Amino acid sequence: MSAHPIEQRVAAPNPTGAPFRKILVGFEGSPGAWRALAQALRLAASDGATVHVLTVIEHLPQYAATVGEMEEALTEAERQAALLQAEVRHAADLAGVRVETVRRAGHAAKTLVDYAREGGFDLLVLGHAGHSGVWGLFLGTTCDKVVRHAPCSVLIVR
Amino acid sequence: MEQNVWFVAASWMALALAASLISVRFGISVALVEIAMGVLAGNFLGFQTTPWIDFLASLGAGILTFLAGAEIDPDSLRRHLRPSLAIGMASFLLPFLAAWAFAHGVLGWTWPQAQIAGVALSTTSVAVVYAVMVESGLASTDLGKLILAACFITDFGTVLALGVLFANFNGWLALFVAVTAVTLYFLPRLTRWLIGTLGASAVSEPEVKFLFLVLFGLGGLATTARSEAVLPAYLVGLVVAGVFLRDRVLVHRMRSIAFALLTPFYFIKAGLYVSLPAIVTGVAVIAALLLVKIAAKFVGVWPLARACRLPPREGNYVTLLMSTGLTFGTISALFGLTDGIIDQAQYTVLVTVVILSAVVPTLLAQALFQPRIPLAERDAAVAEEVPPLPRAAGTGERSWKPEEIR
Repeated sequence: MSAHPIEQRVAAPNPTGAPFRKILVGFEGSPGAWRALAQALRLAASDGATVHVLTVIEHLPQYAATVGEMEEALTEAERQAALLQAEVRHAADLAGVRVETVRRAGHAAKTLVDYAREGGFDLLVLGHAGHSGVWGLFLGTTCDKVVRHAPCSVLIVR
Repeated sequence: MEQNVWFVAASWMALALAASLISVRFGISVALVEIAMGVLAGNFLGFQTTPWIDFLASLGAGILTFLAGAEIDPDSLRRHLRPSLAIGMASFLLPFLAAWAFAHGVLGWTWPQAQIAGVALSTTSVAVVYAVMVESGLASTDLGKLILAACFITDFGTVLALGVLFANFNGWLALFVAVTAVTLYFLPRLTRWLIGTLGASAVSEPEVKFLFLVLFGLGGLATTARSEAVLPAYLVGLVVAGVFLRDRVLVHRMRSIAFALLTPFYFIKAGLYVSLPAIVTGVAVIAALLLVKIAAKFVGVWPLARACRLPPREGNYVTLLMSTGLTFGTISALFGLTDGIIDQAQYTVLVTVVILSAVVPTLLAQALFQPRIPLAERDAAVAEEVPPLPRAAGTGERSWKPEEIR
């Protein structure tokens, strides 16, 4: 049985041998995201790279009837993301790496790719979410889309 | 056999609950899903309204309008007054006149029916615009605040037109105007006083009851003058917006009451009268009216956006966002239907155009003209106030603990 496209693309730390300077981690609090963060912190510690951790706020109500409906959803999502990012900074402190945490609303893959492009990152690290085969086959995962469109190397951590 | 009021209420609430669950699952506004539920219930399940449902629905429309007015940021409006007035007025006036003329001249609708079309299609959905701008990072920028302020001006034009066009110009209207003016003058101070003296301690929600009293009273006067209750509701919202900006608890309470009990009846009722066969037969008219709305917004808004020194890409983006519509569009169409001005086929056409105008310009704006906002500008506007690290709050199962990373 052939491997999933994502598995084929899992990259080893910088194949060119040059150290990574700017690492972006997509982080939504899942077990995979924590593994990705751990890997990114290790790489940053060894390469002396700066790390940005981006949490994308998804699933805000589309075509809302009142601003309040949107505001309430956004406030709650922001609160959850802020709590997660506080934990991320705590983890980075323990690892002795300085991280910048950023929150953005939008489509996860597009936001990650745009942020990586605008910020001139040379590595984007994501955790593998592990969707079901059927779901992943038809819709593709965030990882699939990021790998396809990212302007830099992508490391998918399983 | 007379219908059991409890079972009727339960069946409507079942639709509302289903709409909420679908909305949460798919990230679509609950209002749109409730309208869709109404369409299904009206076309396939034989749902009908009753006088008490009509009342709850009217109340829902009124509170929605009040909340829409109260959501304005008065400081932002003052700061961008001139460009937002110019863009907002053009964004109302051009589509209003164009849709009115098209409905009367091309579709052969009577004068009042064409006026309803003009009002329903003149709107801009502040909420849809806000949601798009949050996702594009524009909401906290100066451009975003200017657009939002302009949207409020457009909606004010819509509500004013709805309140004035069909009113009887008699003593009742004069009384309504006088009482509204006096009420609006004293309302912010009275509301602040009430919150300051009773709001913090009383569990009986006196400030909410006070606002309902004002809305019901002015609504009564408005309808007696054959005007629309949404006009005073929007104005009341506008003048207490400053109070709401500081008292988020009051906003939350009003919103909870509205969204749990009142607006579901309004949106489901709005969908109930949409006839699926009329959509099929009116598809050309629907497409034409949508084009008229967007084209008129371009004629009105685009030159002004450019005059405000927005580059062409941002000008297109702003214009498309200002072509969106939802809440006030359906309120205007439903007013026309319940007052016997338009028939069900015309109502169906207008509501379908309104819903399409929430979706189509948004998708076009996002796909083709998304402004490029530099990271620094975007992230400077995002507050980094992070709550303290939770000690006991679990964030779900994970295989890595922060402490294990080193």
